[in-house]
Amino acid sequence: MADISQSRSSGRFVYMSGVVLLCAWVLVPLYFLLINTLSSPEAVNAFPKSFIPEFDLGSLTFFANFAGMLSALKNSIFVAAITMILSIVLGAPAGYALSRFEFRGKETFRFLILLTRAFPLPLLALPLAVMFIRTGIDDTIFGLALIHTTLALPFSVLITFSLFSGIPIELEEAAWTLGCTRLTAFTKVILPLVLPGITASAIFAFVISWNEVFAAAVLTIENRTLTAFLLQNLDTSPLHLKFAGGFILVVPALVFIFAVRKYLFAMWGIANR
Amino acid sequence: MNVKKVTGAVSALALALGATAATADVLFWSTQAKPVEEAQAMREQVLAGAGGIDYQPNDGGPWLTRLNAELQAGSGSIGVLGALHGDFSAMDPADLVDLDGLGASASATFNNLAMLGTDSMQYIPWMQASYIMAASKEALPYLPEGADIDALTYDQLIEWAGNIKTATGEAKFGFPAGPKGLKHRFFQGYLYPSYTDGVVRTFASDSAVTAWEKMRELWAVTNPASTNFSFLQEQLLSGDAWIAFDHTSRLAGAFNERPDDFVAFPAPAGPTGRGFMPVIAGVAIPRTAPDMDAAKALVQHMLKPETQIATLRATNFFPVVDVALPGDLPPAVQAAGNAVAKMSGSADANPGLLPAGLGSLGGEFSQLYTETFERIVLGGQDIRMVLDEHKVRLQAIMNDSGAPCWAPDAASDGPCPVE
Repeated sequence: MADISQSRSSGRFVYMSGVVLLCAWVLVPLYFLLINTLSSPEAVNAFPKSFIPEFDLGSLTFFANFAGMLSALKNSIFVAAITMILSIVLGAPAGYALSRFEFRGKETFRFLILLTRAFPLPLLALPLAVMFIRTGIDDTIFGLALIHTTLALPFSVLITFSLFSGIPIELEEAAWTLGCTRLTAFTKVILPLVLPGITASAIFAFVISWNEVFAAAVLTIENRTLTAFLLQNLDTSPLHLKFAGGFILVVPALVFIFAVRKYLFAMWGIANR
Repeated sequence: MNVKKVTGAVSALALALGATAATADVLFWSTQAKPVEEAQAMREQVLAGAGGIDYQPNDGGPWLTRLNAELQAGSGSIGVLGALHGDFSAMDPADLVDLDGLGASASATFNNLAMLGTDSMQYIPWMQASYIMAASKEALPYLPEGADIDALTYDQLIEWAGNIKTATGEAKFGFPAGPKGLKHRFFQGYLYPSYTDGVVRTFASDSAVTAWEKMRELWAVTNPASTNFSFLQEQLLSGDAWIAFDHTSRLAGAFNERPDDFVAFPAPAGPTGRGFMPVIAGVAIPRTAPDMDAAKALVQHMLKPETQIATLRATNFFPVVDVALPGDLPPAVQAAGNAVAKMSGSADANPGLLPAGLGSLGGEFSQLYTETFERIVLGGQDIRMVLDEHKVRLQAIMNDSGAPCWAPDAASDGPCPVE
């Protein structure tokens, strides 16, 4: 009896320490980012590090006065939003088709989707930029969003494909027998079930677009995204500005993920808690 | 109400609202002044008086890709290019507008380099810098007896760093061997000239073997984390390095933040003198510039004495035209200026030039020196064997590019021979 409770409590200990470790894995770097963002340059270079921020706003004030930050932030959000919408609108039907229909060239199609990630962007950027300049979509938010959509599509197709595959076709067939058309069966039965997964792939698309630097740096000039505007200048900047810049780059993405977490967690049946 | 204030408020508002309307600003597409503080200073202090300029600093990759895309497409938005001599020399001179008559630097050598092998100026020298040494004042008590910090030799430097290692148990010499570090310039402009009085001709000579043996000795007293160091100002500030070699602008942060804690001094000397090398950045105009007159006006603006001094304050790069420097310059500029002056004025000075004429093979050339360092010093391979193997590749690079020798190598007819 004692043995069982002992092994239970040690199992619980392992479980808890696993949870703590995983949380720390994510939270500790973010916390250090925050502390160093709110520290004076001297404190950032000092060692050992303090665990309490000293609320020195010098680094953040610098970026607040940095010309073009706000419009870059706005561009980033627009590009990421368009990327998100396009990759869902194009990716989800492709995922549905792959999981529900047999058609010629299906395997080739799946392979081709993966191939879009096989070529590094620095290789593609030159011909793309030439084409963009010639067609007039150079330096536009929409043009850049098209590129980011291409990068995000494989993920959204593959994620939605496995989502749809996980839902028995019998559910849809039952809906048809009860008077649903193909479309209403999809919207009333399937869509609510896959929504969390679609949210997850939307977040993926958002983050891919948010983090992409090379294409953004080459294809936009006046309408730069935040990463293109800031990230390539940060690696050569002093440490305290690196932290503050990193913080500024991370926060909007975190806020976005936090805002949509409801849909994400619905997948595990713990929505609205 | 002050008119300036109103326009300032209006432009701030326009910025906040995200003025995305296409403006006729001249796009200044640069690889220099990239750190956010420098970019900010370029926009607010250097370019503010020049009218609508959009200053955009970039990494080398996007910089070149975008430029090539505009050249291929035959139209573009880049007005003026700002880059290092090496970036321009890798380009086809036909893609750059001839800039004769727009101004020149005070140095005939620089002006000659800027022609990129043609008969007219392909870029205009814009600013210059060099590589120097810096040390934390904590390191000074360990200087070898009788050593003058302004006239160190490589042996004294090794002894100095060795003293610190013995006393503190930690190797405190910092070397920019990180992924973005400028280590290849140390070999090309400092170690080789100081030991072999050459860079290419003497690549595999017996004196080069001595040079690499010294490099190994130096590495033994170098902070082993140096393979991660790319901007030594960080390690000087954090105390991971007490003595450091780096580009003046990559040491500036330390001097500006804690001016009383650090000293700057010339690079050390070897048997064949005190080798050192300049860094030149230039401005050029691509043939696809949308508004050629505005671009030329910007190039001329960059060479005005007051702009040159503003650039010095913003970037820690020194003027290329004759100007009287004001007395109130930032600590980093004063420290670096003095060190460079002592270095070039020293009796045993052995100034080298930037690699020239290599064209697109410039990257490969530098890579070769980096690989030599990695194999000999980090990998511990036999020096003679590595040099003999790399000698063949170096000769191939020289032959393919047709580059003649540059100082301190003796001049050559045709491609520089590796002896």
